[in-house]
Amino acid sequence: MNRQIRRLGVAILVCYLALFLQLNRIQVLDAADLNNNPYNSRRAQREYNRPRGQILTSDGAVLARSEPFDGEFFTRRRVYPENQLFAHITGFFSFNYGLTGVERQYDEDLSGQSFSVQVNSLQDILIANRENVGNVTLTLRKDLQAAARDALGNQQGSVVLLDPRTGEILALWSWPSFDPNLLSSADRKEAQTAWALANLAEGKPLLAHAYRERYFPGSTFKLVTAGIGLQTGKVTRDNPVYDQRQSYLPPQTTKAIANFGGETCGGTLFQVLAVSCNSAFAEMGQSTIGAVDMVAGARSFGFEQDVPIDLPDAARSTFPGDLVDTPNPPKLAQASIGQNDVAATPLQIALVSAAVANHGRIMKPHVLREVRTSEGKVARTYTPEQWLAPLSEEHAATLHDAMLGVVENGTAFGLGIPGYEIGAKTGTAQLGNGLVHTWMTGFAGPPGDPQLAFAVVVLNQRVADDATGGKVAGPIARRVLQTALPLKR
Amino acid sequence: MAARAARRPRLAPAAPRRNTELGLLVMVVLITAGAYVLASLGQDANMPPNIGPFLLVLLALLLLANLVTRRVVPDADPMLLPLAGLLNGLGYVLITRLDERLAGKQSAWSAIGIGAFIVTLVVVKRARDLAAYRYLWMLAGLGLLVLPMLPAIGVERGGSRIWVKAGPIEFQPGEFAKVALALFFAGYLLDKRELLAMRTRRLGPVMIPDPKHFAPILLAWGASLLVMIRQRDLGSSLLFFTLFLVMLWVATERPSYLVIGTGLFAGGATFAYRAFDHVQKRVDIWRDPWQDPLGDSYQIVQAAFAMADGGIAGTGLGSSGRIDFPAKESDFIFAFLAQDLGLVGATAIIVAFALIVGAGLRIAVRSEHTFDKLLATGLTALVGFQAFIIVAGVTRLLPLTGITLPFVSYGGSSLVANYVIIALLLRISHEASQPVVRGGRATVVAERVPA
Repeated sequence: MNRQIRRLGVAILVCYLALFLQLNRIQVLDAADLNNNPYNSRRAQREYNRPRGQILTSDGAVLARSEPFDGEFFTRRRVYPENQLFAHITGFFSFNYGLTGVERQYDEDLSGQSFSVQVNSLQDILIANRENVGNVTLTLRKDLQAAARDALGNQQGSVVLLDPRTGEILALWSWPSFDPNLLSSADRKEAQTAWALANLAEGKPLLAHAYRERYFPGSTFKLVTAGIGLQTGKVTRDNPVYDQRQSYLPPQTTKAIANFGGETCGGTLFQVLAVSCNSAFAEMGQSTIGAVDMVAGARSFGFEQDVPIDLPDAARSTFPGDLVDTPNPPKLAQASIGQNDVAATPLQIALVSAAVANHGRIMKPHVLREVRTSEGKVARTYTPEQWLAPLSEEHAATLHDAMLGVVENGTAFGLGIPGYEIGAKTGTAQLGNGLVHTWMTGFAGPPGDPQLAFAVVVLNQRVADDATGGKVAGPIARRVLQTALPLKR
Repeated sequence: MAARAARRPRLAPAAPRRNTELGLLVMVVLITAGAYVLASLGQDANMPPNIGPFLLVLLALLLLANLVTRRVVPDADPMLLPLAGLLNGLGYVLITRLDERLAGKQSAWSAIGIGAFIVTLVVVKRARDLAAYRYLWMLAGLGLLVLPMLPAIGVERGGSRIWVKAGPIEFQPGEFAKVALALFFAGYLLDKRELLAMRTRRLGPVMIPDPKHFAPILLAWGASLLVMIRQRDLGSSLLFFTLFLVMLWVATERPSYLVIGTGLFAGGATFAYRAFDHVQKRVDIWRDPWQDPLGDSYQIVQAAFAMADGGIAGTGLGSSGRIDFPAKESDFIFAFLAQDLGLVGATAIIVAFALIVGAGLRIAVRSEHTFDKLLATGLTALVGFQAFIIVAGVTRLLPLTGITLPFVSYGGSSLVANYVIIALLLRISHEASQPVVRGGRATVVAERVPA
């Protein structure tokens, strides 16, 4: 019998060996497939329950933090103390709907994976409570963000405020916004309800309009046209002198491009920019500059390019590139004044002003200032980098002066703040249904030192109310600048 | 035999094997307590408030068990009790973190299990005395199996009718039936093994033993299988079948029984697959769990996710998410073990079972008495194959047949029955280490060591 017993022992060992091999298959060979299986919510759930760093503004306000929670599935929850104010920047951290905004962009820092180099799991058994997370400090300021919110009020629109010298975004507000607390709720029913409501709501509150939505830029695009004209040498301070007229009729069409309010205007660059002369800029783009340089020039300002902002899913601004291969003078003329197929994000328009303010160079826009460890040590700092250089220093200075003129005696009159130098450009984009988007973009700072670039857009204003960029968006920009300019920077 | 016995000295009264056992038991307490603390830290970063009492009770229970083994089976194997304690302890930690409400019950059952262990050691003075009651064991085994079928006390849960409710206590009689049937098989085969090894009848081309000798055991086996298929307890059916086959083969030394048995199994399995929906479903899930990953295959798919999540080193005790599914603390506990402790920890658990099997079979080999040999083999095979059947089911090596993982799973009946098995093995082990007394009672039982 002993022989049989020994064989039985061998047989059981063989069985166990088979178990061991099968375990290797599941836990090693097929592990990645199983972990990524769409039916597998396990990893997401654990990620959700992990400690997670804070998101802070540069002036110290906490935008997101994790706190212990005794839920059915979750042991932590993400809290956003500022509710709607920074929702479009922080994004949300939702078990059901994933991660957006900074939560997604800097997930590895927040969850502590980027610099702890994935503490291996054997150690995790010993240090079961992993607190080595990163705290992310943003370039944004709570006071400026709140100023932008208060200035815009309950009108639909966006406010972008950035430092043209570094690309640091100081405020990035759009309304309607949403409360990320509800979407990140540990109560999955509540999160589902909030999600459904937010998707039904008017004005797409979940969308960070300031950098993810495109609008007709209207006359603010004339800055780009002017910049291209200067950079190509086809336009100077004194030449050409555009005819005084009420409208411009491009070739191959009978549909003239009329001036605002049917006014007569014309003259040199400074003169036509100050009054935002449609006829002159339509002619400048279509005739003086031409399709090839307009398309290439728009690209040099950031149109038709991915914006290297450190936030996910930024929208590209558009300029009709087909104008090169299929000449269409009427379309080119319209595009030159920011109509037709031209569309820009508020961020892009702010970057155009930033180029003028920063000697012709556009720095990469960013929201990250630095990442610190739980102990407060700086783990990494964002180093500003140049993105584009659409203008030479000389031509940037020219356009700079032209924009100062728009505030001194042009359509942005009233934007001025004593003691500071402010250059701007208005925009009133016709939607053709009795509504307009009103714009204001520009730069501001102590004389000779433009420290801020901005763009404000207020959507769907009624033409009947005589809405223009100067009247509607201008005061909003001014209120934000009044808060921002005195700050020691 | 006498010469061999004479050369084997009586072990020293100091019982060094019990000191070994004591040392191992202390280690078990430390490992369990450590795991318990880590699991609690992983869950809410707090030391468990009841760690002191928990440690003391665990230590006291195991020390008590060691004191008893010192007195009654000083020369028994020193590995079995610590291994059982380790599995029991780790299982307790896992159950606590999976469902805190079960923790109290499981610790009570552990205490009762160790109590049953002590009682068995004290009551059973000599394992082979149990052989005398072989038909009583058969009746007890079959009776226990039928118990859940009785209308008043039987409880059906999750499609299986294998529980019995008596007052506040629910238990699975099948867990005890397996011990009773192992006792019956050992006792019966002790008498009939030589007859069964002879081939006196010709059935077609094969020679078979006289059906007269074969009938009772076939009856017991067939009845138990039928009952369990009625109760939809496939795991136990498979385990009983394996037990029966293994004991028959070891007793008769005839490999033809294995061949015939496997053939019978294939036939029976095919029949069950055709005849019973629930069998068919299990096999279909095994073949392709992705047909219905949120429905029928939910458990097996979630178990795979859990194990994959654990990877090689595991997610750490208590750090895993709280995904809920039926039988997670009983039949599926191995999946969570593999998640928390990874391939490394899961392998360690399998090795622990391999060590139990090794120790049990070593006891069988060393026993001088056929009944002891057969019983030790049967009991070891029960633990060894039960662990294999459920782990193979959870890891989808075989179709899943619900059964507990010995010592680890939640469940009082399983714990108590398995502690009784360990007690019987220790008793046999102790006896195997004693010098054989010529002309003593040992020779009353017909004893023949095969050549």
